[in-house]
Amino acid sequence: MERSVKSLVIIPAYNEEKSIDRTVEDIRRNAPDFDFVVVNDCSSDQTLGICLEKGYPVLNLPVNLGIGGAVQTGYRYARQNGYEVAVQFDGDGQHDAAYLDAMRDKLLTQKLDMVIGSRFLEKEGFQSSGIRRLGIRYFTRLIRILTGTVITDPTSGMRMAGKTVIAEFADNYPKDYPEPESVVRILRQGCKVQEYPVKMRRRTEGTSSISPGRSIYYMVKVTLAIFMEMLRRQ
Amino acid sequence: MIAAVIILAALLAIVNMIRKRALELKYALAWIIVLILVLIVDLVPAILNVISYGFGIATPVNTLFLLAFCFSILLIFILTVTVSRLSDRIRQLSQAVALNEARIEQLARELAEREGQK
Repeated sequence: MERSVKSLVIIPAYNEEKSIDRTVEDIRRNAPDFDFVVVNDCSSDQTLGICLEKGYPVLNLPVNLGIGGAVQTGYRYARQNGYEVAVQFDGDGQHDAAYLDAMRDKLLTQKLDMVIGSRFLEKEGFQSSGIRRLGIRYFTRLIRILTGTVITDPTSGMRMAGKTVIAEFADNYPKDYPEPESVVRILRQGCKVQEYPVKMRRRTEGTSSISPGRSIYYMVKVTLAIFMEMLRRQ
Repeated sequence: MIAAVIILAALLAIVNMIRKRALELKYALAWIIVLILVLIVDLVPAILNVISYGFGIATPVNTLFLLAFCFSILLIFILTVTVSRLSDRIRQLSQAVALNEARIEQLARELAEREGQK
């Protein structure tokens, strides 16, 4: 639909030399009227080299900031350049650009502030491992109790934001494991958040930022962060 | 006597580091003050007895341990606060560097295009 809406795909990339090309190709083919920018989080492999060689627009972080800091750089870029829609899109091949148009339609026609690509609305595609799903369900329940909103996939890294949320995330964004915490933050500010059913692929390259050993730390940290968010004044 | 010499040596070392700008006065100040306090207590041990009596601590040396422990914990906590602030500043600086770099490149490209048109 509205071609005139300036839209940006933010691709956080840390050592994604094997999949960055495929991700960009996917966006160019399936979401051609989206601009994109790769945020290179100080990769130690050829990620930056590939971006420069192919002429991909890139934001090159001089030190490694982790996923939160990298994604926030993208939101700052979006705000600086007057984008009205910005979507986070993993550089590791998990996400499918074919959904971006439909997600934007939903965002614009229903006047939402954020649309989250959810794996669990229609339970199709790669559903994450059992134990991880259990953790995700726990966060869904926690967020529902605290905010009254059902987010079936609060850890989804495929999230599309409108102008209000772009500005908010450009100013405030958690450093690590940012997804559930930041959703709670904008829900508390009265933003309208809905989900759109997507299929995700099992990652083909790279490893998750959440290794099994860290999952307990993840649960505790994110739970505390959500409670801290409830204590903050809006 | 030996203690006083050690404390004075430590003070000299700290002053020397500040002189050579290896240590910032702002952060060394707490250490200097503590060293001076320890020096005073070393020279006039009666102070410790008075404080111990006030707190109801039977053995004066325990007062020393208590104070040293409290000071250490406080200092570690202040350092944690400082680390948080520094990491936030590093994040903001890095993001600004990345955004500016992209902006410079974009401007350079536009300039090159304009030059080409002439």
